[in-house]
Amino acid sequence: MCNLPIKVVCRANAEYMSPSGKVPFIHVGNQVVSELGPIVQFVKAKGHSLSDGLDEVQKAEMKAYMELVNNMLLTAELYLQWCDEATVGEITHARYGSPYPWPLNHILAYQKQWEVRRKMKAIGWGKKTLDQVLEDVDQCCQALSQRLGTQPYFFNKQPTELDALVFGHLYTILTTQLTSDELSEKVKNYSNLLAFCRRIEQHYFEDRGKGSSSIRLS
Amino acid sequence: MAAPLELSCWGGGWGLPSVHSESLVVMAYAKFSGAPLKVNVIDNTWRGSRGDVPILTTEDNIVSQPAKILNFLRKQKYNADYELSARQGADTLAYIALLEEKLLPAVLHTFWVENDNYFTVTKPWFASRIPFPLSLILPGRMSKGALNRILLTRGEPPLYHLQEVEAQIYRDAKECLNLLSHRLGTSQFFFGDMPSTLDAYVFGFLAPLYKVRFPKVQLQEHLKQLSNLCRFCDDILNSYFRHSLGDG
Repeated sequence: MCNLPIKVVCRANAEYMSPSGKVPFIHVGNQVVSELGPIVQFVKAKGHSLSDGLDEVQKAEMKAYMELVNNMLLTAELYLQWCDEATVGEITHARYGSPYPWPLNHILAYQKQWEVRRKMKAIGWGKKTLDQVLEDVDQCCQALSQRLGTQPYFFNKQPTELDALVFGHLYTILTTQLTSDELSEKVKNYSNLLAFCRRIEQHYFEDRGKGSSSIRLS
Repeated sequence: MAAPLELSCWGGGWGLPSVHSESLVVMAYAKFSGAPLKVNVIDNTWRGSRGDVPILTTEDNIVSQPAKILNFLRKQKYNADYELSARQGADTLAYIALLEEKLLPAVLHTFWVENDNYFTVTKPWFASRIPFPLSLILPGRMSKGALNRILLTRGEPPLYHLQEVEAQIYRDAKECLNLLSHRLGTSQFFFGDMPSTLDAYVFGFLAPLYKVRFPKVQLQEHLKQLSNLCRFCDDILNSYFRHSLGDG
């Protein structure tokens, strides 16, 4: 969205290369910056920003909605990947351990699972059932859908980091194959969110010739 | 609606009906929505439970956690948000998420992790309201729980030193307070003239930070500079809690 030239590289040890232990991170010259917040700050310091045109109240709103996405969508995604037995057994373990030889693939997968479960317990999600998590996702999507309304982006004509964040999560939910479709169905209930993802995908990704899988509309 | 609603929660002090954020959120919401709550303050007898407070008890239900309690009250027709538009409802969710992600870690730290504060204020206060010998164990457990939550949600322990995490969470909290102040502006409440769920949450998180006397007060000092937020807390205390100022 900022028109910056990037090269995407996939590495198995990406989490270890990152200074904070989290992906994604960008490598620019001799600097390494990880996670969305710091990357946005870094890019802003270099003179590119999507949210300069917003007033203080709008900036507050934007930050609040970004936290909502982190609080609900991100946590729900982690829950589904690591705390739902069916998904863990069939998909996550295999996928997470795939770059490593035996027995490292099992050990690392279990370690990550243990870490995620600890975190869930600390924030009070340890006792949630899958249905409750899906309900939370639905509430979050409803809030996003209401905020977006009929506008093309969350702050009308121009996309901001909030649009990037929401796109990232919704697109992943819609296009990742899981054991059941319940999660993506929750998002599909909101047609303006679907249209939003489609619009961004077409505008920013397909035009550049990066042929990623397009969103399935059932 | 005739069934008595009883709320078990931590007591008050320093001019507040409760010093515990979550208890305060529920008490404020009940006042705003007109729900008749009988408040049972936890004391150092063995009556009543201590874990997972605040807890709402009715004839057939026991509900814990502020979000669930507020939902329950709404279903009982005590709804402080019925005048809000759908968009304002969405904004409420977003701002509550902001409070929990950005402000709560620093509030937890100020009360439970910062050593001077914990040992001189928090621990003695809570220990005096818990029966012996639980008073020797429970505050320590609450403190560890708070530290755990901060470390687990703010980066992975082996890579982050506690001091770096501390600096970051206070930076985030100050930014959050600034954002809230901008959003509130000169209005009396966050959505016009009537208080709603969001006002209850903001009040619940801010009031203890504002009023409790701590030795280490960097976040409190920052809050005191945001006069509209202080006025917001004082207004709610004066209008809704004048008759129920807690014990010191």
